[in-house]
Amino acid sequence: MFSLVNFTNFDFDQLFAMNDDTNPIMMLVWILPIILFVFYGQRIQLFVTSGEIKKGIKKLDSFREESRTELIDYVKNNLTPKNDPTKKIDQFLDYFTIMPVDMDPNGIVDKVRHIVRSREDYTREHVKLLSPEMNDFELTKVQTLLEIASSLQMIYKIINHMFLIAKKQNNYPLILPLQMILPFIMEQAEAMKEAIPAFKAGQPVGDGIGPMVVGKMMLNSQKETIAFQTTLAKTDFEDRKLFLLKAEGPGSTVGRPADALETIVSDNKLDAIIMVDAALKLEGEDSASVSRGFGAAIGGIGTEKFQIEAIATTNNIPLFSIVVKQSVKEAITLMTKDIADIADDVRLQVYDMIRENTRQGQSVGVIGVGNTAGVPQ
Amino acid sequence: MFSKKKITLAHTVEKCTKCGMLKKRKFNEGDVLFAEISKCNSCDGITSIEKIFGETLEQ
Repeated sequence: MFSLVNFTNFDFDQLFAMNDDTNPIMMLVWILPIILFVFYGQRIQLFVTSGEIKKGIKKLDSFREESRTELIDYVKNNLTPKNDPTKKIDQFLDYFTIMPVDMDPNGIVDKVRHIVRSREDYTREHVKLLSPEMNDFELTKVQTLLEIASSLQMIYKIINHMFLIAKKQNNYPLILPLQMILPFIMEQAEAMKEAIPAFKAGQPVGDGIGPMVVGKMMLNSQKETIAFQTTLAKTDFEDRKLFLLKAEGPGSTVGRPADALETIVSDNKLDAIIMVDAALKLEGEDSASVSRGFGAAIGGIGTEKFQIEAIATTNNIPLFSIVVKQSVKEAITLMTKDIADIADDVRLQVYDMIRENTRQGQSVGVIGVGNTAGVPQ
Repeated sequence: MFSKKKITLAHTVEKCTKCGMLKKRKFNEGDVLFAEISKCNSCDGITSIEKIFGETLEQ
């Protein structure tokens, strides 16, 4: 086929025709776009990219508004507030948290914990004031809904700010990072929006697999509250003493497992700690697949993880973990069938881990990490 | 543009603590895991909630 084309006999005079018989219109057709793209290329790209980002921001705005309305309606319809809660809720949504200075990282974890807990305590007390008859179960639900609504509000504000700055400066490079992170932000925001019905109905979410597994192990055992919103049950398994820990269900809370573990360790000698949690799956990994590993399986801001690691290190206790893989959306929305179906298998694997890593007469701490909405004990 | 609308339906699975019979039904408000619900239809045991999960359907 190529033998039919002769590449050696180009007429360069014709190709770059700049002599007298050149058609000026054809010359403009070539040269104008080049000039246009050299001087206005970035602006054109900015214009095209802006359209996509605007769509995303519009969606984020609708998520923000929807979550706010759902929260206000929930409080009005289910909790018989004394006054109209709209103004108070709007104030809560705008609350911000200033993280401590980290130039000197010494003691930063305690400072972060203090600030985060102060915020939680403040919100809890003031949400309670909306309706004095509100029980703890409803209170945790409203707190979670408030957290979702305020996160969506914050996401919208930050993304909108970044977009407006880039537009104002007519600066294409400024919009590039936004274009890159927007799909991930949208995925998280959509997951948060879709989490609202599950939390309103008090249904278990994917993240609740840890409490679900440990909650079942706790059934028919004596339970006690060992730390704030955290339950302990002591049982025996094949001549080993088990200290089972989970957040106090069925409210929507993650409890304070690190404080609970500290209390247990102050009075007892643990020979192993096993943590059961949900973990974000990598792209290509199957949802609801189970993996075992080492170290503290716990998410969040990092203070609980730090405290658990410190306890394990100080007391020389090996830390094992078992995780159920899932996507961001699966973790915070109604538990999927695949995840619910795997719970019994995870429980059997926890017993296997206890047999493999401890001897008879030893003690093991088993922590079900995650949000315990819809999962009592 | 042509994507179908997805809806998630919540289901509750009850299990008889005596004969182990499973019964799947629609989620009712107030359902929580491990709660003892009713008498089993096939024996005199008590059923408790074994699972609560969502199934997504395309419309």
